[in-house]
Amino acid sequence: MEEFRSLQRDYTDATEQFAAMNEVLTALGRSSSDPDAVLDSVVESARRLCRCEAAAVYLIDDDHFTLASSVGLSTEFVSRIGEHPFRIDRATLLGRVALDRQITQIPDVLSDPEYGRQDVQRIEKFRTIMAAPMLLDDEVVGALSLVRTEVDPFDGRAIALLEAFAAQAAIVVRNVHLVRELEERGVELARRVEQLEALSEVGGVVSSSLVLDEVLSNIIMNAVRFSGCDGGSIMEYVEEERSFSVRSAYASSAELLRKLRGIRVDLETTLVGRAALEGHPIAVADLDTVELDPHLELLHDDGWRSVLAVPVLRGERIIGALVVRRKRPGAFSDETVEFLETFASQSALAVWNAQLFRELETKTAELQVVSQHKSEFLASMSHELRTPLNAVIGFSEVLLERMFGELNERQDEYLRDILSSGRHLLQLLNDILDLSKVEAGRMELATSTFSVRSALEYGISMVRERAALHGIAVGLEVDPALDGIESDELRFKQVLLNLLSNAVKFTPDGGHVAVAARRDGDDLVVTVTDDGTGIPPEDRERIFESFQQGRRGAQQEEGTGLGLTLCRRIVSLLGGRMWLETEVGVGSTFGFSVPMRSPVEEPPAAPTEQAHLPIVVVIDDDRASLDLMTAYLDGLGVQVIHARDGEEGLQSIRALAPAAVVLDIRMPGLDGWQVLTRVRDDEATRAVPVIIVSMLDERSRGLMLGAADYLIKPVGREELIGALRRVGAVHSDVALPEAGGARSRSRGAG
Amino acid sequence: MSGDRILVVEDNPLNLKLVRDVLTAVGYDVVAAQSGEEGVALAGSCDPDLVLMDLQLPGIDGYEALRLLRQDPRLGGVPVVALTAFAMREDRERTARAGFDGYLSKPISVRELPSQVDDFLSNGRADVR
Repeated sequence: MEEFRSLQRDYTDATEQFAAMNEVLTALGRSSSDPDAVLDSVVESARRLCRCEAAAVYLIDDDHFTLASSVGLSTEFVSRIGEHPFRIDRATLLGRVALDRQITQIPDVLSDPEYGRQDVQRIEKFRTIMAAPMLLDDEVVGALSLVRTEVDPFDGRAIALLEAFAAQAAIVVRNVHLVRELEERGVELARRVEQLEALSEVGGVVSSSLVLDEVLSNIIMNAVRFSGCDGGSIMEYVEEERSFSVRSAYASSAELLRKLRGIRVDLETTLVGRAALEGHPIAVADLDTVELDPHLELLHDDGWRSVLAVPVLRGERIIGALVVRRKRPGAFSDETVEFLETFASQSALAVWNAQLFRELETKTAELQVVSQHKSEFLASMSHELRTPLNAVIGFSEVLLERMFGELNERQDEYLRDILSSGRHLLQLLNDILDLSKVEAGRMELATSTFSVRSALEYGISMVRERAALHGIAVGLEVDPALDGIESDELRFKQVLLNLLSNAVKFTPDGGHVAVAARRDGDDLVVTVTDDGTGIPPEDRERIFESFQQGRRGAQQEEGTGLGLTLCRRIVSLLGGRMWLETEVGVGSTFGFSVPMRSPVEEPPAAPTEQAHLPIVVVIDDDRASLDLMTAYLDGLGVQVIHARDGEEGLQSIRALAPAAVVLDIRMPGLDGWQVLTRVRDDEATRAVPVIIVSMLDERSRGLMLGAADYLIKPVGREELIGALRRVGAVHSDVALPEAGGARSRSRGAG
Repeated sequence: MSGDRILVVEDNPLNLKLVRDVLTAVGYDVVAAQSGEEGVALAGSCDPDLVLMDLQLPGIDGYEALRLLRQDPRLGGVPVVALTAFAMREDRERTARAGFDGYLSKPISVRELPSQVDDFLSNGRADVR
């Protein structure tokens, strides 16, 4: 009887606990954008259920804790810790929790010699305190703490409760973060492919979905244990397929889990689906006596007799399902059903998290593919368009030069229009090509040391004619201490020229443009200031976007709409940033910074990082050709090693036992034929497939000497990948490569 | 210098016509070829003073054509200038490495072309002597 009472009390406690958590989660569901309300709810429930005077959630902020939500604490205490926050050290309870990463209590603060915050203790008069860490991805992001003003240590039940609440609070923080991220991304991504870089960072977060699997296993484990069942599984609903898929199982054989994951649990035709559609749990007391859907049949075959399917819902939306089962037949008690319903609503959040993750992941991948296609398309399109354009420009010039006779005024005027339109179009194509190169990560920088003053003077000389035509004075002010800068001269000038021609374009006749350069720490700062109309606030970000022109200059201007986008990208590639200061009616200053010294190149990736990737050695004396091959192989899951001559190539082949070799024929020193012969003659390298890529058409000679394939330059990407696939160096199932830098590292001749 | 013979190798007919007409108009004797193979063959027979060579050609490209021209003893010392589609640094460096005597980026400037050609002719001669 005593045992029964104890059980009953436990059950009441558990129900109360889950009711409280449900409250928290409902609050979350209502207002994902208002994390404070949710945390308030967590704190209030924790205080009530753990029977103490005060409770609080703190979030870690660098080296200290910031109070995020509290109940029962005096304003004096709150303002005191606002000024003197809890540090992460052993003198505070929170510090210990953060350092030890575990729930900790101090039975009596006054008898703890290490405790160092007597100042706040005196304010709040607390004696027994306890706190639990909030863990996200193994990182302590905050803590949930409880305060009792009398010495009254927390019992096991309170400890368990606080741990559970801390876990909830952590999920709240993560969820709020995720929802916000998804919303922001969703809007921005559709608008700008520029966001891709940011997204690849999200890719890193996505990899932590393993943690979510752990959360899901925990949920199903607790569901099974608390309900007194023998096993169970948790499923995720896949909207597009109108079916459920099993994410995790408890007390089920690996074999069963494998089979469960292999089947599609249809929404319309299964017990689980019906439970979800009807919105309440459905039980089967004995599988022997009912018609079995594929899912139930699998369970039945595995020896299970009774099953309870509980839908996981978030409002009207189906998120997934919890399924618990027993080895023996029999009905499930109302308590069990009710308990699991509560439990399911709690797990909705975690399952929903998993779906958010996946959505982000898919979106990222799709956008990368789209961006890659876009870049390739633009590159080839601009090239194709450029050729006829050259003829348009050239023939207009021929006529304007009166090479073939005099023109009348109208002819002269029209030809000038043709010429300037042609040049405008050409500039547009060049910008597009540059931009697509930057976006595809294929814009290469050539660093040299050049004079800042000369570069600026060059830029000014390019706009002088136009400025003079409009009576615009262009001034230059260079800090005398500035001399050489180590950067990419061509790109530096390109950015400068762009800003300068914009400034001249948007300055009214008789106005001023001022160029200034100074040193700021390790950076060179260049500003171009005009006294034009200025840029209204709503346009200040927009003008940096592709094909957006500000409203300044109401008349039709001939900008390409890509210049500033490109400039900003180039500056960031150079390691600096670009900004705008402007006031309507006063003028605008465009500024950019670039490091005075080019950033030290990243050391080659550690061999271990790519050790598992198959190696392809590319031997070619032509840098451009090497780069092209590397770009082709980017994202195919191979590691590309360069060799600039035959000798170096042979060394790499011997040392690295590559999956394939791509070999040029005409090279100084050892030529390709000699390299091929030596590779074939050496016992150790005989098996390495060699693909010849050459301008020479000597296919039969190559194959006779033992080449695996023979491609004639210029080689297309598909062609090269096809050849590598045939020799097995690239898997045939590799997806489209992602945009981004090539995975390569050069190997020294030694 | 007027009267000098210029071999222009360029596959795009409009661009070829443009260069030919401009150079003819200022008095050069222009021989036109529309492919690398044709250019190499004509170079052997027409005794040019300068070759303007497009890089992207069907069949053998400008680099390969240059290599073949260099093997022809009759053409020793004849400057070969690359016509590059992109005014890009990589291409410039590559043409220099490949052994071209210079490059002209497209779009060519009609106003400047005659004097540029003149420079290449006199530099080429200076190198030979």
